[in-house]
Amino acid sequence: MAASGKVKKEEKYPPPKRFQVADIQASREATAVKPEVVSRMVNKAKNPVLVTGKYLLKEPKLVEVAVKFNEKGIPIIATGGSSKPLIEKGVKPESVVFSLHQITQYMLDPEWKGFNGQPYDVVVYLGFTPYYLSRMLSALKHFSKITTIAIDEFFQPHARFSFTNLTKHKELHYEMLSKVVEGLEERK
Amino acid sequence: MVFELKEGIFVLDDLRNVSIKIGKVIEEEEEWTEPLGPTPKPGILELRNWDRKLMERYEPFYGPMQDYCNLCTMGPCDLSMNKKGACGIDLRTSKARLVAIACCIGAAAHTAHARHLLNHIIEEYGEDLPIDLGSDVNLEAPNIRLICGIRPKTIGDLRAALDWAESEIVKVLHSTHIGNEEDYTDYESKAMHVGMADHVGMEVADIAQMVAYNLPKAEPDTPLVDTGFGVVDRTKPVIVVVGHNVMYARPVADYLEEKGLIDDFEIAGLCCTAHDMTRYNAKAKIFGPIYYQLRVIRAGLPDIVISDEQCIRADLLSACKAMGIPLIATSDAACRGLPNRNDDPVDEIIKDILSGKTPGVFLDDGEKLAEVAVKVAQEIFKRKQKKELFLTDEELKEEVEKCTQCMNCVFTCPHNLRIDQGMKAGQEGDFSKLAALEEVCIACGKCEQSCPKDIRIINVIMKTGYQSLVSKTGKTRVGRGPIQDTEIRNVGQPIVFGQIPGVIAAVGCVNYPDVMQDLRDILEEFLRRRYIVVTSGCHAMDIGMLKDEEGQTLYEKYPGNFDAGCLVNTGSCVSNSHIAGAVIKIANIFAMRPLRGNYEEIADYTLNRVGAVGFSWGPYSHKAASIATGFNRLGVPVVVGPHGTKYRRAYIGKPWKTENWWVYDIKSRQKVNIEPAPDVLIAAVETKEEAIVQLARLCIRPNDTTQGRQIKLTHYIELSQKYLGAMPDDWHIYVRSEADLPLRMKDKLLKTLEEEYGWKIDWDKKKIVGGPIRHFDAGFNPTIVESVYEKYTRK
Ligand code: SF4
Ligand code: SF4
Repeated sequence: MAASGKVKKEEKYPPPKRFQVADIQASREATAVKPEVVSRMVNKAKNPVLVTGKYLLKEPKLVEVAVKFNEKGIPIIATGGSSKPLIEKGVKPESVVFSLHQITQYMLDPEWKGFNGQPYDVVVYLGFTPYYLSRMLSALKHFSKITTIAIDEFFQPHARFSFTNLTKHKELHYEMLSKVVEGLEERK
Repeated sequence: MVFELKEGIFVLDDLRNVSIKIGKVIEEEEEWTEPLGPTPKPGILELRNWDRKLMERYEPFYGPMQDYCNLCTMGPCDLSMNKKGACGIDLRTSKARLVAIACCIGAAAHTAHARHLLNHIIEEYGEDLPIDLGSDVNLEAPNIRLICGIRPKTIGDLRAALDWAESEIVKVLHSTHIGNEEDYTDYESKAMHVGMADHVGMEVADIAQMVAYNLPKAEPDTPLVDTGFGVVDRTKPVIVVVGHNVMYARPVADYLEEKGLIDDFEIAGLCCTAHDMTRYNAKAKIFGPIYYQLRVIRAGLPDIVISDEQCIRADLLSACKAMGIPLIATSDAACRGLPNRNDDPVDEIIKDILSGKTPGVFLDDGEKLAEVAVKVAQEIFKRKQKKELFLTDEELKEEVEKCTQCMNCVFTCPHNLRIDQGMKAGQEGDFSKLAALEEVCIACGKCEQSCPKDIRIINVIMKTGYQSLVSKTGKTRVGRGPIQDTEIRNVGQPIVFGQIPGVIAAVGCVNYPDVMQDLRDILEEFLRRRYIVVTSGCHAMDIGMLKDEEGQTLYEKYPGNFDAGCLVNTGSCVSNSHIAGAVIKIANIFAMRPLRGNYEEIADYTLNRVGAVGFSWGPYSHKAASIATGFNRLGVPVVVGPHGTKYRRAYIGKPWKTENWWVYDIKSRQKVNIEPAPDVLIAAVETKEEAIVQLARLCIRPNDTTQGRQIKLTHYIELSQKYLGAMPDDWHIYVRSEADLPLRMKDKLLKTLEEEYGWKIDWDKKKIVGGPIRHFDAGFNPTIVESVYEKYTRK
């Protein structure tokens, strides 16, 4: 696993509730981590990327978070129309037209050089329909070495790292997102 | 000695002591001048090379639902990270096997449906009943001609096609047994094989019922029928038919007509039986798709329910029982634990149902069924007390009060709906949040199973969202069946050259990610832009429920022809075969390509030339999986909604792998690199916005003329700007010459090509001199099949 880093006990959450109780047939479940771990993974990555989805069209807070990622020099692959609010805020996404399904297929190919000339090693997901993202994370878990990190309000069992389930605590979710952003170092 | 003589004319001279037994006499067929192609009635191997070719470009993608396999007793096995199980199968191949199994189930559903219908119809009308689809359809049964190499003239002739489909499905099912395939591409090829067989099964079923039951035959202006929750007049007894095979419930309409009672009753349907019932008798109405089943039953609207097969809730009987609604099951595919009462006298059956001795019966004798259904409905209607639908105000309050906001429901709901928040607001007197859930809830009932307080969540949602529920009542244009030959003659060229920017075929189930309105919005975007929009099944009935500000559904706004800016409802699930059929007919009627047993050439033609894209916004059934896979083999890409990822497999090309995108050009006799169009055979999108842009994008074909490409690019760019807020990333790779560029933006785009992509532009002539993947050539004649290339270069 690229850019793994060790996660200390106090940086983890106990096994959380999944977004879908029946989506449990996972041999290796994501580690539910605190925001600092997410920032650290991204900071250590060779070529990290943020992939954004549908909920940026519904939650302005998510747009804000993505913009801040971008300000720290992390490129954004915008899917599902999430490009629109991002572009309005001055972001220039790596791509706007490819769906997450397509992007995942490309990432599964070790020959793919990404949109910026080198393969992505750490991929952070923000604002996705949970069952849709779940299948993509599963594909990447089984068939690639990419480190996937889900930072939506739902725990994603097939990711390598995920936030715990925060469905009940929207505010806490937003706080955690802010913490991730705070911990990001400027990339050259 | 036994001779087996195949079809043909035989002259036997000078034979002695030979006794000749004659089986079926086949009359000398009037000349079918079309030459027989290479693959009539193909087995698993015949089209495998075609499939492999497709998969070289459109590589299978797997997003497993589970990491384990427990299909046999050597397991369960952990296949994660592509490990192998005890039998030796790896994760990828095991998922491909599951897809093949799903496609077998789907194809078997239509094929068994066809078999039931065909046997029944041959018994009733005889096998010589001619296949006459009206004067506008001379090229009937395009799928059967293409795939089986048969031109059926009578109902009896359909048997040969069905025999073939059945045997292929069994062969593929066999291959999924432990210890068979070890390469996922072989299971994919088999999935495509049964997907293709599915289209034959569907075509047999629909032709048989159109002919025998006199359903509309390619008429564009079929009647409009009432559609939606609020369609029935509750002062009349209501007979509800549910499922996908109208053969069983049809006699009910006949009986009511015969007795002069048709206007004293309401017949309304759920799922495809509703479509086919309205095709049979336009006095019937459409309640809606599968997710209306519990809405309708829990509201207590039916006085009797008649079920047949496929996509019916597996708890239909218990749902009906709870509401005191008797159920008659009619299909051997779904007997529902009910006693078979075919041999009993009608009066006895009625007595047992009305006395409550049995909650329902199994009955597939049409005449008995009709009489029982009508008489029982009449009596239940009389007994029924006027009650408030779903819940009384008191009950609603009580139910809502019970909620502790434990959120068990939220984590079982397929859409993670925030029932807890709705309940909380309801406890504080605000029911709007609960009401809003009506739009997104698919009434699956999972939440109720998980609620520790046994709250009747669906009833709570439907009671509070009642206004939204009844307001979704409109009109559906009755399914017309096939597309006319003349229509194809008119649109064939503009489709192949690209002036009609595409055909969008919205078919399938209703597991939408969001509100139903999205589907209407998506389709209307294309109707306004003068694409041809075709629909069937649940998508076709859902758009019949939604009205605009003027109170019109799409069917009332757009004509039912197969033409630019028109909306065609072909009918039920089995009518999907006419959509594939229209694509096939384009190759034959417009381009004179022979169909007879000539699958690969026609699929190759479609992939390179026909800008048709399938769209299933809410796929869930196995049938949807096999229909889509059948379309894929035919060269038609399909876009599915986000739940479609749960099929686990997609076929997605990689545009950046330039070596994958080539064709043989018959004109220049060269292998030519081309733009990756279309670059996906099946993939899921997440949002309405993304769906619209992808659909426009996937209509682009290598064969587009410059005028066609210009039109397609204009829509693609405009839609991307409108919905994604930017030019599409890949617009430039579809540009072959300056004439491809949208007129309005030409100068600007030339500049961008020069500055951002380093293309060479001759500014005096405003010409592209260097940069594109290939230049446009008016005689370009693409194929990816060697034998097709040889055939046409030999000439
Ligand atoms: S019935 Fe509606 S609210 Fe309940 S789980 Fe199903 S979709 Fe969700
Ligand atoms: S499961 Fe029942 S009690 Fe729990 S939040 Fe849902 S409706 Fe309320």
